[in-house]
Amino acid sequence: MLEVNGINAGYGRIQVLWDMSVNVGEGEFVALVGANGAGKTTLLKTISGVMRPTSGSITFLGKRIEHANPNQIVNMGLSHIPESRRLFTDMSIRENLEMGAYPGRSWKIRRATMKWVFGLFPRLEERAGQLARTLSGGEQQMLAMGRGLMSRPKLVMVDEPSNGLAPLVVTEVFQILKSLHNEGITILLVEQNVRQTLAVADRAYVIENGHLALEGACRMLAASDHVRKAYLGL
Amino acid sequence: MVAVRDIIITGLLLGGVFALVSVGLSLEYGVARVLNVAHGEFIMLGAFLTFWLFSSVNLNPLVSILVSGVFIFVIGWFLHSTLFRRLMDSSPSLEVFEGQSMLASFGLLYVVQNIARLIWGSQTHQVLFLSRTVTGAQIPLNRLVSLGVVIVIGGAFYFFLARTRMGKAIRASAQDPTTAGLMGVNIHTVLAICFGLGLAMAGIAGTLISTVYAIQTNMGLQYTVIAMIVVVLGGLGSISGAMIGGVILGIVSQLVTYFQPTMTFIAYYAIFIVLLLVRPKGIMGK
Repeated sequence: MLEVNGINAGYGRIQVLWDMSVNVGEGEFVALVGANGAGKTTLLKTISGVMRPTSGSITFLGKRIEHANPNQIVNMGLSHIPESRRLFTDMSIRENLEMGAYPGRSWKIRRATMKWVFGLFPRLEERAGQLARTLSGGEQQMLAMGRGLMSRPKLVMVDEPSNGLAPLVVTEVFQILKSLHNEGITILLVEQNVRQTLAVADRAYVIENGHLALEGACRMLAASDHVRKAYLGL
Repeated sequence: MVAVRDIIITGLLLGGVFALVSVGLSLEYGVARVLNVAHGEFIMLGAFLTFWLFSSVNLNPLVSILVSGVFIFVIGWFLHSTLFRRLMDSSPSLEVFEGQSMLASFGLLYVVQNIARLIWGSQTHQVLFLSRTVTGAQIPLNRLVSLGVVIVIGGAFYFFLARTRMGKAIRASAQDPTTAGLMGVNIHTVLAICFGLGLAMAGIAGTLISTVYAIQTNMGLQYTVIAMIVVVLGGLGSISGAMIGGVILGIVSQLVTYFQPTMTFIAYYAIFIVLLLVRPKGIMGK
């Protein structure tokens, strides 16, 4: 479904990603794990068109997208839920969700989609008229995820959803990701919470200093010595 | 007492025009990030378009509102899709773009002003429209009509921002253009619309001004200065702040003009400085 092939990317002269290749198959739940600053967020930004790779190719549903703009990519059904939520804080919860349904196709069915999202996140419905800034950290993450689903994506990329949340809320976030996967949505998750990530995802890539270090089924990675020492503190 | 009442009413009328001019600049700078020094030149263009249509085919200035609004919107759209978009794509950061776009708008100021001078010369013109006073207060009818137009446009624009898909996209892009792009908003289209709307508001204000005051091809810059004061006064990027700031400055202008006309601009700057000291983020700033 998504094939990233030999991507090099960075900010100005500072190269962040080196010859990065990642694949996500239809219906898969794939994770990118690694330390802070390893390049995981840069990879998602390059896929969603916020950044341009200096070389390499990205293919989504058979079409090359490495030169496409973010709005074209989300139109194709690839949604990027950015790091640190990036909500429209001066707009209401309902308006934030409506913005998520901006592409023409999903705008027409936004009411039905919103009903589905409210089913996933009941607390958002209770507060639909409130400004997004009035929500707690956990609720803001729910809104960011709900907003990212409003375009009815085929593939969702979620960047650090557990960042800055209380442990109980983190567990809730992972449960929601799991239930989205069960509904048939393909997920590419970036996380620093390696233990819980390896417990829910099918497959994972370990990224270190902008290079691909390891890849494989989560069960295998969780058993590997390198991952246990470097990421699980065992 | 009657004097105070008249000052407040005429202040509101002038404030309405200031508000329109300032909301326009707020769209150009707050959303499209172009500190458009040439903003006032499009007020002048709207005013002269109205004058030209009035003196040649006797077109009612109220109809000219539509003409200058649409015509100048198209100019703004075109300018953004060519000049400013190119600058934005070639700038490494938003800060660099703000500097470059301001310099480009300086160039625009001279180009527009001198084209206008070639066409209309540098003498003073006037559009005589509804200049009789309404009985009771000494308020010319044309000013009341202007205020009515400003209120209608302000209300329509508020509805557009609050309720429509494009209006919401504009508000989202003003807060966070990158994330708006991730939602599927074509950011270049939204910015071009904002810039066009900003210029259109200047043009409409120009039409209204031409029915009240004498116009000259070098009239623009004073309004640009007023709009910049109002935009900072109201809070950068805040549409409602620009409206409130415009009305306040209008009333102040009339108060000062009543007692000491030469002090008007000094009063603008005095208010500006005091407000910046007391509330640096502006009335509605965050």
